[in-house]
Amino acid sequence: MSDPHAQRPEDKSAVPSDQTTWTRRRFLSRSVVALAGMSAVAGAMSPLRHLDPQDLPSLDEFLQKHYKEMTPQDKEQVFARITQSVQTRFGVDATVSDPPPLEDVEFVYGLNLSRCIGCRRCVHACVEENNQSRAPEIQYIRVLEMEKGSINVESSEHHYDPPLVPNPDKYYMPVQCHQCAKPPCVKVCPVEATWQEPDGITVIDYDWCIGCRYCEAACPYWARRFNFAEPQIPSEELNPEVGYLSNRPRNKGVMEKCTFCLHRVRQGRLPACLEVCPTGSRKFGNVRDPASEVAYILRHKRVYVLKEDVGTVPRFFYYFDERGSRYREPMVEKSGAQEGTG
Amino acid sequence: MSSSSAGGSQVRPAYWVAAVLVVTGAVLASNPLPFRSPVSDAVPVPASATDTTPVRRPKLEPSYQVAVYTYRCSDCHAIIAQRNPETYRAATQHREIQLEHGINTSCFNCHHPSNRDVFVGDGGVEIPWNQPQLLCAKCHGPVYRDWQHGSHGRTNGHWDTSRGTQTRRRCIECHDPHRPPFPGLPPAPAPHTLRVGVPAHSGHAASHNPLRLESVNRDLPPASAAP
Repeated sequence: MSDPHAQRPEDKSAVPSDQTTWTRRRFLSRSVVALAGMSAVAGAMSPLRHLDPQDLPSLDEFLQKHYKEMTPQDKEQVFARITQSVQTRFGVDATVSDPPPLEDVEFVYGLNLSRCIGCRRCVHACVEENNQSRAPEIQYIRVLEMEKGSINVESSEHHYDPPLVPNPDKYYMPVQCHQCAKPPCVKVCPVEATWQEPDGITVIDYDWCIGCRYCEAACPYWARRFNFAEPQIPSEELNPEVGYLSNRPRNKGVMEKCTFCLHRVRQGRLPACLEVCPTGSRKFGNVRDPASEVAYILRHKRVYVLKEDVGTVPRFFYYFDERGSRYREPMVEKSGAQEGTG
Repeated sequence: MSSSSAGGSQVRPAYWVAAVLVVTGAVLASNPLPFRSPVSDAVPVPASATDTTPVRRPKLEPSYQVAVYTYRCSDCHAIIAQRNPETYRAATQHREIQLEHGINTSCFNCHHPSNRDVFVGDGGVEIPWNQPQLLCAKCHGPVYRDWQHGSHGRTNGHWDTSRGTQTRRRCIECHDPHRPPFPGLPPAPAPHTLRVGVPAHSGHAASHNPLRLESVNRDLPPASAAP
């Protein structure tokens, strides 16, 4: 304890002499250290040479407002810029639309579990319609192959790949965004980049999202996807009819999700996943219209809500027919089965 | 410790720091571990996976094609004498039709025995060829009810019929009337998202590489060669 105290006077006497006298040796050694330090910093920064100035946001993009705060003039400018950026990125002339929510419309989806055969047409029609990244692969719909007699998603399988579906011993449950009435993903967003529209569709302002992925963690249906890498879409496969809140090309680092094909359904059309479904298992419509298909289903069918206990109040309803669907009967090995029994 | 540093080496510059920095800078600038994206190429998706046309293209008129000639059903059936009204087997014509419709094993349960250009309803009522749902409704009442309300069967076009047309697909655009169960289809490509891992319980884990960290044309051998 007393030793350092005793050395202080010696130190003090040595320091001033060091600082005042700049010898050649001292100058050179310090220069070498400084140069080495700078070169190390330059080396550490060297990956920046791969940075493309095109990837940096422009000042306009940087100052862009939240979707809800944009004036019509702002939107016009933003849409023009999106058209321009789609042209630069993909060489495609896109038309940006932003259809407003319809009056007295609340969208609801129905899916007939007795009829779905698990062919995954919906998955790929969705990718094509909504300009998801092909590599890395982003898909909004996940078709779960479920054990018959069970609703345990833990034991489901979504990598099934037999030559023909359906497997008569399984049933298939496609899962996508349930457009919850109480969406936990909206609740957790720290920057209000995602919100629920009056027609029930939960949307994202891709330019406002900071990519924190809280919403992905909050969603009990794994309906949200994150762009870990720059989305790659072949130019010839790009859907040029893009909606600001739905299928415009996304950037790296933002979340995206199913919007029930907002740009289609707000113009009265049916979602792409429904259009392609070969079995007609998918039903869509305005639940406030008592004559709609979905209203009939909710009134007359046995309806099942996935993870009802988590309290998200989904707008996506699974339903069943009175009898099991006919595909459960063996079709291919019919003659063989008869021989076996007879 | 304190006594040794305070003793002799306190003013000597640490030249090794400079050396380490220079070496570090050189190593970083030479980029010894270039970034290699774990993302491999996109999986090709067959065009059939996004085809919105119905699985069947039935003819909704009573025509029959022989070589380049198109006949109406009655063209032949008017001149062929009706021998057995309960026939269930095609002897010479229509050999391609295999009737596997459950307990419905007779042609004239659906086809009209005397007017072959129409179907037969209850009590011999004629059902036009382009209204097959009325025929199917004879037996499949609940399904017909669901079809009428839209909970069974395909709908295409617009959900809002005030803004566009809507197509309700009829029974035989999905079901073969002679073999009604919906046919099995080859599934479209399975997901390969980065988020998911190899399912531990499945037997095909060895042949399946959902992460696609290494595709077959890269340096690692394909995963299917493992077993």
